Amino acid sequence: MSRGMSRWVILGVAALAALAVGVMVGPADVAGGAALRALLGRGDDVTIGIVRQLRAPRALLAFGVGGSLAVTGAVLQALVRNPLADPYLLGLSGGAGLGAVLAIALGLGGAWAVPAAAAIGALLAVALVYRLAVVAGAVLDTRVLLLGGVVVGAFCAALVGAVLALSPADQLRNALLWLLGGFDGASWQALGVFAAYAVLPLAILYRASRALDLLSLGEEPARFLGADVEPLKRTVYLAASVLTAAAVAVSGIIGFVGLVVPHAIRILWGHSHRSLLPAAFLLGGALLAGADAVARVAFAPLSLPVGVVTAVVGVPVFAVLLRKWAS
Amino acid sequence: MRSAAKRAAGLPAEPSGEFTRRLDRAAVLLPLLVLGAVLAGACTADPRPSGPAAARRIVSLAPSLTELLFAIGAGDRVVGRTRWCDYPPAALAIPSVGEGIGFDPEAVAALAPNLVALYPAASNRAAAGRLAALGIPTVELRTDSLDQLPPAARTLGRLTGHAREADSVTRDFESLLDSARAAPRPAAPPSVLILAWDNPPIVIGGGSFQSELVALAGGANAFGDLPQPSAPVSVETIAARDPDIVLVSDSTVPDWTRRPEWRVVRAVRQRRFVFIHGSDFARPTFRALDAVRRLRAALEAVPR
Repeated sequence: MSRGMSRWVILGVAALAALAVGVMVGPADVAGGAALRALLGRGDDVTIGIVRQLRAPRALLAFGVGGSLAVTGAVLQALVRNPLADPYLLGLSGGAGLGAVLAIALGLGGAWAVPAAAAIGALLAVALVYRLAVVAGAVLDTRVLLLGGVVVGAFCAALVGAVLALSPADQLRNALLWLLGGFDGASWQALGVFAAYAVLPLAILYRASRALDLLSLGEEPARFLGADVEPLKRTVYLAASVLTAAAVAVSGIIGFVGLVVPHAIRILWGHSHRSLLPAAFLLGGALLAGADAVARVAFAPLSLPVGVVTAVVGVPVFAVLLRKWAS
Repeated sequence: MRSAAKRAAGLPAEPSGEFTRRLDRAAVLLPLLVLGAVLAGACTADPRPSGPAAARRIVSLAPSLTELLFAIGAGDRVVGRTRWCDYPPAALAIPSVGEGIGFDPEAVAALAPNLVALYPAASNRAAAGRLAALGIPTVELRTDSLDQLPPAARTLGRLTGHAREADSVTRDFESLLDSARAAPRPAAPPSVLILAWDNPPIVIGGGSFQSELVALAGGANAFGDLPQPSAPVSVETIAARDPDIVLVSDSTVPDWTRRPEWRVVRAVRQRRFVFIHGSDFARPTFRALDAVRRLRAALEAVPR
């Protein structure tokens, strides 16, 4: 088996293993074989409900979100040619926070009010940043994109702080806990909503992978090499924003995955986006699905924020990779 | 920007930032003042107003302490309260100083109190030290459980010159509490989920007075084994513990109960909700046994 092939096999096995762990372990005393039997519909109602309605969609959602964040991070790092770029860079997290807090402060009802408002807030912030960065008709200035994202995010965060300080509802603080990220809202329904919004942007980004290779050389070289740079930048930006907003709606804001997984794949595997994007999707998905299982089990019955686990597990591994790459 | 959002989420609002900075600058100029503040802060555990002069102008920085002050007949001496102090209704007429945890010492000092009653939170320590530096006596009283109410009430009684009244209402409360605790418990008390928040799910644990209220009302907190007052758990853990009843501190069926992941929890699916709404359940007070009575009636109304 070729070296390239064996890498795909390893990633595929890691992905399946993470999904299997997500279904087979949890804080409830339903593990291994019992969980698999329940997945097939055998066992008592509570056990079947836990495995089929809670664990299975949760593992798949964590996988999809982790993969999407990693892909978004990879393309944004190429778009703004900055290694610090991550999915929330472009004002998205601030906008999402403002949307979520306003939904609660204004007393919007409905089971999906907070996630929907967060996604809308994220998209509005992204649209504002986009408007700031469009100069001379239709040219997207990526430096303005970066700085505009930072200041719009900071502005939204300041407004969130004001609402929190002035509003009498102490529930608002709990609302922000939701934003810290996690998969407690996972269900088949949430997975369906996420998939509906994620499939098209993922396909668009994958199709753009050849052009992204050129873009990461710089805008001028990319233009000389025949890339249609401006439409490409706009398309990638839009697709990445919709993808991240969908992730925010179902899981809040989960850091680290979108920043680090693309770099890990580049170090291990090289820079071609045609393999970088699928590999980042698999690794990001495996990392987040596995981390979510650990977050639920490590201190059961207490659960940890999943972002804590991704960082605690991921940072040492990434540090080793960085040392290896630097030497 | 992300970290800013997290900071905003994780920490209570700090309304006194600018003022704190100004004080810090003053403290650089006056190190002796700081030393004085530290020494005075160390001595606030049991401040005894000198001589027979009892505290006449009191600022209460916790809703439960405001209630205790009114209960012992010292309500007319309260000149400042927090934005959360809403009981008794007479308290609403008192000027508010804003937050009581992470309070603004300037707003408190402006009321010229000669006693400030506050909750011993870590974020109150620096501000309490500044009050002490200004010569304003403070008393820190912890009111996390029902058992902490009698000593707190007696301390406030002593400091405000209402020792006798405080002792009388406290003894009434203690005897009511004793008889409630001695009342026969159901052989198989229903398991009650006390949910503080739905996403991420945060449950009330055994370390909270609400757990005790549920026990006194003839229920058993589904997460009473957790020592914490509240704790984050997953929906799966709740589904596996399979509580009989979900306690909702609200007046209507909340929106989250319609989300599919929650319908895995049998009590949610079967809509076995008990609603308890009111400040007597939200904080430990002498009214706790009223909350217990309402809760008992509500729990008994749920078909077994």
